[in-house]
Amino acid sequence: MITCSNCNHENPSGAVFCPECGAQLTGADLTTQSIRTDKVAESAREKAATLEYPRAISDKAWGSLHLMESGQILPLGERNEYTLGRVSEGQPIMPDMDLSPYQAYANGVSRLHALLKRDGKRVVVMDLGSANGTYVNGKRLTPNVERLLSHGDVVALGKLKFQVLIK
Amino acid sequence: MSHAQDYYTVLGVIRDATQEEIKRAYVEAAQLLHPDKNQSPGETEIFLEVQQAYEVLSNPKRRKAYDASLPKEDQTSRPILHEISYSRGQLVRLKESQLVYALLDVRVRPSDETVTAPPLNLCLLLDRSTSMKDAKMDLLKAAAIHILRDLRAEDVFSLVTFSDRAEVVIPASYQRERFKLESQIRAIQASGATEIYKGLECALAEVRRGLTGRRVNHVIMLTDGHTYGDEQACLDLAARAGEEGIGISILGIGTDWNDNFVDQLASRTGNTSRYIARPADIQKFLVEKFHELTRVAAEEVTLEFGPIAGVELNYAFRLQPETGPVAFGAPMQLGPILRDTHLSVLFEFMVTPSALGMNTLRLLSGNLKVSMAARPSPAPPIRVWFEREVTTGPDPAPPPTAILGALSRLTLYRMQEKARNDLKAGEFERATRGMKNLAAHLLSQGFQDLAKTVLLEAENIQRTHSLSRNGEKEIKYATRALIIERGGWVQ
Repeated sequence: MITCSNCNHENPSGAVFCPECGAQLTGADLTTQSIRTDKVAESAREKAATLEYPRAISDKAWGSLHLMESGQILPLGERNEYTLGRVSEGQPIMPDMDLSPYQAYANGVSRLHALLKRDGKRVVVMDLGSANGTYVNGKRLTPNVERLLSHGDVVALGKLKFQVLIK
Repeated sequence: MSHAQDYYTVLGVIRDATQEEIKRAYVEAAQLLHPDKNQSPGETEIFLEVQQAYEVLSNPKRRKAYDASLPKEDQTSRPILHEISYSRGQLVRLKESQLVYALLDVRVRPSDETVTAPPLNLCLLLDRSTSMKDAKMDLLKAAAIHILRDLRAEDVFSLVTFSDRAEVVIPASYQRERFKLESQIRAIQASGATEIYKGLECALAEVRRGLTGRRVNHVIMLTDGHTYGDEQACLDLAARAGEEGIGISILGIGTDWNDNFVDQLASRTGNTSRYIARPADIQKFLVEKFHELTRVAAEEVTLEFGPIAGVELNYAFRLQPETGPVAFGAPMQLGPILRDTHLSVLFEFMVTPSALGMNTLRLLSGNLKVSMAARPSPAPPIRVWFEREVTTGPDPAPPPTAILGALSRLTLYRMQEKARNDLKAGEFERATRGMKNLAAHLLSQGFQDLAKTVLLEAENIQRTHSLSRNGEKEIKYATRALIIERGGWVQ
């Protein structure tokens, strides 16, 4: 018997993936997935360390998020699309940007809350059907509809507010 | 007889075939090739060869003398190659049941001679029920005309329409006067309900008129609706078509057709269904399917095997050329091999402790039969067996990348399958959770758009206890497409 470490489903020996939650049960790595797990592990490790010191903004940076409450700056640049949310234990949902170090839970951020995307010069935000909604300058967005952002707009995921700075 | 062919090849049996197998092969060949049935040039000669081969091999004395005269069996002359890989190195003696996966890869040996593509014997079966009215019907007609223009001189073609009755618009034959036929296609009018049985029966009758082992015999059905009450009769028709060597592929348009049913229907012949979300894509999908048929190297691979105590085949899934579930039949229709794409099928076996007495366990033992229209005589069946050693120690080796990769994508497909089943069983919470898990995996593998669709459907389940019709098909066929898209796990 192999017990899935993710959802505790009991699988027969020899199973490779858990049919309940889709998690891989054997140690072997797939290249497509290893990137993912590295990232999660990294973000978990960095939780404490990065709190005070935001990472340097690289050349590729196209903008940043300025967290209003704590004053921290989160750079945007490694990718063109970020899902925003919070990692919670025992759940396989993994947003690209984990906001749990910034009081995400207390502020009502969903595990998979919103999507931030750059498309050429345009930057858009889209609510992914979150429980407490996404607001731009105080106006609630319709879920799954993209909303164009301008430099300086204030976005709120639930009650977690940040200002979007676009390069 | 050409030098490359001995009597065994002519009959399509292996060298150590039993008398019973030889007799069966002869009867099968005789039915296909009997001079009363076939007028194609050359077939009578082949029939005479079959007759001669049978006379020698069915007589044990003459067979022995003949065997002595044969050169040693040359492995390199086999037209079909196959390989099997497994998810684990060994089975372990345990007190509980365990799983093992086997990946079967079958391909046609690349030959120096340029293989000419076999001619088609194709029937287009078009749904002309009321729901196909207007734009959809026009697009459908345009697509059919496109296929008509693409036919080669040696192809046999027919066109049947159906609603609550079936009608032969173009009877099966070589199509020379295409302009005249085009106007017949343009005159098709939409009206009535969708009754698949009548249409399918009529289409199969047309294909049977041109049925020979020298052609790729196939029905492509395009439909947009549900059929009611005749499902079982349709499945029986399809099973018979599969035995006769006629393939059935189905293209479903829009959201109102029953994907699970037509999948079953097509899988009875080793084929599958595809989903056309937008009517504007009808032509694209139809042309794609048509071109696939023209690239067929072996139109049908079947696997015949008996049960093995303590071993159960849980699931069989064709990874390529056309991704889809494989129906459990006897024999099992695995699907075609294309000239540029191998046939790859993944099997999942459950092994109970009682089966692990010996040091080696056969998971499956049977014969692979391959029909190749491009070859004048049937390819000999191949004995295949899946087996693993049984040990007491743990199995340290991780699964090979090919299997791991295939399973990672197949798991996504099966998760949606499972969520749909949970939903049907009224397990709304489980179904919602399953969909959310699926979305997370899709996101982590970079399929943002599909993940969003899945999340929307998770919400739909929560709110309305149902899936949206387009969402359920979109997710099913998109996760299927991911299996093909990954590729690379077969050489």
